[in-house]
Amino acid sequence: MTPPLLELRGVRAGYGIIDVLHGVDLILEPGTVLALLGPNGAGKSTTLAVASGQIQPSGGQLLIGGREVNGAKPDALARAGVCLVPEGRGIFPNLTVAENVRMMTFSGTSYSDVSDRAYELFPRLGERRKQLAGTLSGGEQQMLAMARAMATNPALLMLDELSMGLAPIIVEELYGQVAQLAAGGLSILIVEQFAQTVLGVADSAAIMLHGRVTRTGPPAEIAEELTAAYLGIESGGPS
Amino acid sequence: MTFGRIRTSLLVAFGAALASLVILYWRYGADTEVSGEKIVIASVIGLATGSLYALSATGLVVVYTTTGMFNFAHGGIGVFCAFVYWEIVENADGLGLPPGLGLAVVVLLVAPLLGILIDLILMRRLRTAPLVVQLMVTVGLMVFLLTLANQIWQADQIRGVKPLIDRAEGFNIGISRVPYYRFANLVIAGVIAVFLRILLFRTRTGVAMRAVVDNRELTSLTGARPGLLSGFAWALGSSMAALAGILVAPDIEFNPANLNSLMLIVAISAAAFGQVRSLPLTVVGGLVIGLLESHYQQWISLGPDFTFANRAIAPIVLFLVVLALPQARLSVGRVSTNLRPIERTTRVWEGAFGAVALVVLAYVLAKGWFHFGVWDPGEWSSTGLNKGTSAMVLALIGLSLVPLTGWAGQVNFAPLAFAGFGAFLWLRLGLWFGLPDTGGTGNLVWLPLIGLLCAPLGALVAVFAARLSGLYLALSSLAFALIMANVVFPHPQVLPRVHTFQSLYLDVGFARQDFDTRFSFFMLLIVMFALGMFALIVLRRSRFGRRWVAMQDSQAAAATVGVNVVWTKVVVYATSASMAGMAGVFWATSLSSVDIRSFDLLAGLTIVLLMAAAGMSFPVAGLFLSFQVVFEGLAERLEQTENVEFLVWLLKDFFAKFGPGLLAIGMVVNQRGAIFEMGKGFAPILPWRRDAREELAAENARKRVTEVGGLGLTEPFTSEAIIALDTQLGIVDDVTPTAGYHHGVSRA
Ligand SMILES: Nc1ncnc2c1ncn2[C@@H]1O[C@H](COP(=O)(O)OP(=O)(O)O)[C@@H](O)[C@H]1O
Ligand SMILES: [Mg+2]
Repeated sequence: MTPPLLELRGVRAGYGIIDVLHGVDLILEPGTVLALLGPNGAGKSTTLAVASGQIQPSGGQLLIGGREVNGAKPDALARAGVCLVPEGRGIFPNLTVAENVRMMTFSGTSYSDVSDRAYELFPRLGERRKQLAGTLSGGEQQMLAMARAMATNPALLMLDELSMGLAPIIVEELYGQVAQLAAGGLSILIVEQFAQTVLGVADSAAIMLHGRVTRTGPPAEIAEELTAAYLGIESGGPS
Repeated sequence: MTFGRIRTSLLVAFGAALASLVILYWRYGADTEVSGEKIVIASVIGLATGSLYALSATGLVVVYTTTGMFNFAHGGIGVFCAFVYWEIVENADGLGLPPGLGLAVVVLLVAPLLGILIDLILMRRLRTAPLVVQLMVTVGLMVFLLTLANQIWQADQIRGVKPLIDRAEGFNIGISRVPYYRFANLVIAGVIAVFLRILLFRTRTGVAMRAVVDNRELTSLTGARPGLLSGFAWALGSSMAALAGILVAPDIEFNPANLNSLMLIVAISAAAFGQVRSLPLTVVGGLVIGLLESHYQQWISLGPDFTFANRAIAPIVLFLVVLALPQARLSVGRVSTNLRPIERTTRVWEGAFGAVALVVLAYVLAKGWFHFGVWDPGEWSSTGLNKGTSAMVLALIGLSLVPLTGWAGQVNFAPLAFAGFGAFLWLRLGLWFGLPDTGGTGNLVWLPLIGLLCAPLGALVAVFAARLSGLYLALSSLAFALIMANVVFPHPQVLPRVHTFQSLYLDVGFARQDFDTRFSFFMLLIVMFALGMFALIVLRRSRFGRRWVAMQDSQAAAATVGVNVVWTKVVVYATSASMAGMAGVFWATSLSSVDIRSFDLLAGLTIVLLMAAAGMSFPVAGLFLSFQVVFEGLAERLEQTENVEFLVWLLKDFFAKFGPGLLAIGMVVNQRGAIFEMGKGFAPILPWRRDAREELAAENARKRVTEVGGLGLTEPFTSEAIIALDTQLGIVDDVTPTAGYHHGVSRA
């Protein structure tokens, strides 16, 4: 039996003295796409920060490929094939597009390979190589961020709110790319606030509330419950 | 904040500097006639020196941008390396390497190694530390390197460094000679600038260094190794400091203190010109300072009263830059990840008790009523009292840093400058208003007036920098200290070269108390310190105190609950200046005379460093300033004993000299200072401190938990370790990794 590609067992973590995750359990099977859904502030981004090595768990275990990697540094995990496209724009605004692409070579792919793939997938970026990334449009910036995921051939891809602040048509285009990656057998963990965006690509889904994963199941079921959960939160007052 | 706006502001600053130069020339021009030839020569010299300043400053900026550390030891590194260069090239008893080889050894080997060591041992642990700690550690490092240089290359010998090309070789412009080595400096600086440009824009490492500036988290997510990048930046920065130090050396009096005060301030001022970010602007800043200095030397002569005024040019530029920079936005959104745990505030009765206890204890000790078994120290001699006096004077000055740095988190490198200003007022008020005798009035009823008059000066230092980030406030206090020490205090109209301040007394009309004996003066200082300490404890519990502490915790949060951050900073700075000014009265009275050395930057920094190492938020930290005095005193007592040479050396030559630097560097591991750690151990003994006992118990409990669970948290597990742990805990886990798993992740 192959172990799960990514597994969190009772992970606790937080910022300084503030605890955010109170025992997160999560499993991503190899070659599947898992959507992690939940309201703002639930701890989704923090979960990804733990999984990518940015925050050390204060308790529990982080396993990748069945191996406990608690405490591994984010750059070491990145070189090992873990790729996180963080919330907001995962780009370097004051570097040119070409320099941003060059930064993708640190995970082990050669510059010519990375740039060929990136500009082939997103020709619009190829036209703007010399431009500062910060001056690109929001969609183009997200493409540049995605390009790192697509051009560096990672083993595990994590996407944090890819759709945030983007026009629906662009979101559709980006998720088209994600679907292609998934079809190629890549294991992907997608974080979104709303289920609709990811229903098409996800194999399974999980709900995160108040720093815990409360439910896992098929995306369609989870989508319904998620709405209930959101309503529950609203009627339950601020938390 | 746009780049354009910054550039405009800097143009304004530059214009102001230039205009003041012209005005100075118009009023105080030397008797030289203006000629094109002289303008050209002064400009060549200025550009050549300025390019070296730019070189050093660029190194500072590279380190700051890639690692987030503003390195006050930058100049110190340059000084140390320049002396290593002297040792292996110029020293008659040294290796006698040819200059080119020596330069290569120092710049390509010694300096980078030093830089990497500093990064590995110290700076890496400080990336998320509060600004105050970062600054104190780098300042501590500077003081340490300087003390080391002073110990190795003592000032008993005149040393010099020759330029790489013989001074005599050059060419004439008109009748003036321009040596080639100046051009060599320009060329070297230019080549380095081109090299840096290529490095940062054409190599992957360079691109990654710029990427770190842009988005540190994302850089490590790409797989770039942040440790390597920061190590490389430190190596590069140190090399540049070393090169600049070696090339500047031929033009100045070559001793550690002198070279350091130059290298420190020019690099900082030039870097501030570029907002510690922009390399091109930093280069411009260096050139501007070099040009201003050489043209000042060429055209302006302010006379013997302003001998050191040229040293104030870089600090003045720094001041102007701070003034001209547009307001920084508060960084909102991200809460600091190392929030301070809530600190218990000392209760008023505890403060009162402590203050009384201190006075009683000091009295009993000084009178010699205290016996330690067979050892009877006896009544303090006059030397003992003198030592006690100098320690308590420092303690009083140190108190002024408590609200400012300890509570509000604002850095002040100029406590001695404020103290000096207080001393100046004390002296002049007496002279101007015809109060009794020459010198200060001597009557302590006027003391509050000194405090009142010093406050505006503190406000003035803070008011421009308060809009900017904390770093700029620290920088402008540094600039202020240097300007006061080099321009204001040396002027005979401010503080006479030799002046004996008269003894103090308190005369309230119906009663009079004199403090004209050593013992009574010492006890006066003790009482003043006890009063100050008590006042601070009360102040800490007041609305002001709470506000200042809130500001340190989070400026953005303080602002959202209605605290006017800029105004609060100004008020706390004024309070601190007023306290330091009053302390200055006692300081001046305790010294037999005041001269420029009394205001040495290092003397002031030592106060700040020792306070920081003790724990600035506690008033009692002031007593730690007696550190050096106590060690020296002990050493002197021991000197009469036989067979303790090593102990004497340890106390006098090691601890007393290196202590302040080393203690400040020690803040890397203990950021909250010695008093906090001591208090943690001591408080639970006090019967009324149940809270401390509970906290200690809780902490011990926390430790126990992490010992078991934390075994694997810092390193990836090996399968053996997991099995060992599982057996230990009695858990059998069905997904325990077996030997078949290999490191890393299989590629999809
Ligand atoms: N850098 C930080 N410092 C302190 N608290 C943070 C930080 N980032 C997030 N938090 C807190 O952690 C909680 C979870 O945040 P996050 O993981 O970003 O949630 P989500 O991604 O689900 O919206 C929130 O309450 C947030 O305020
Ligand atoms: Mg989020």
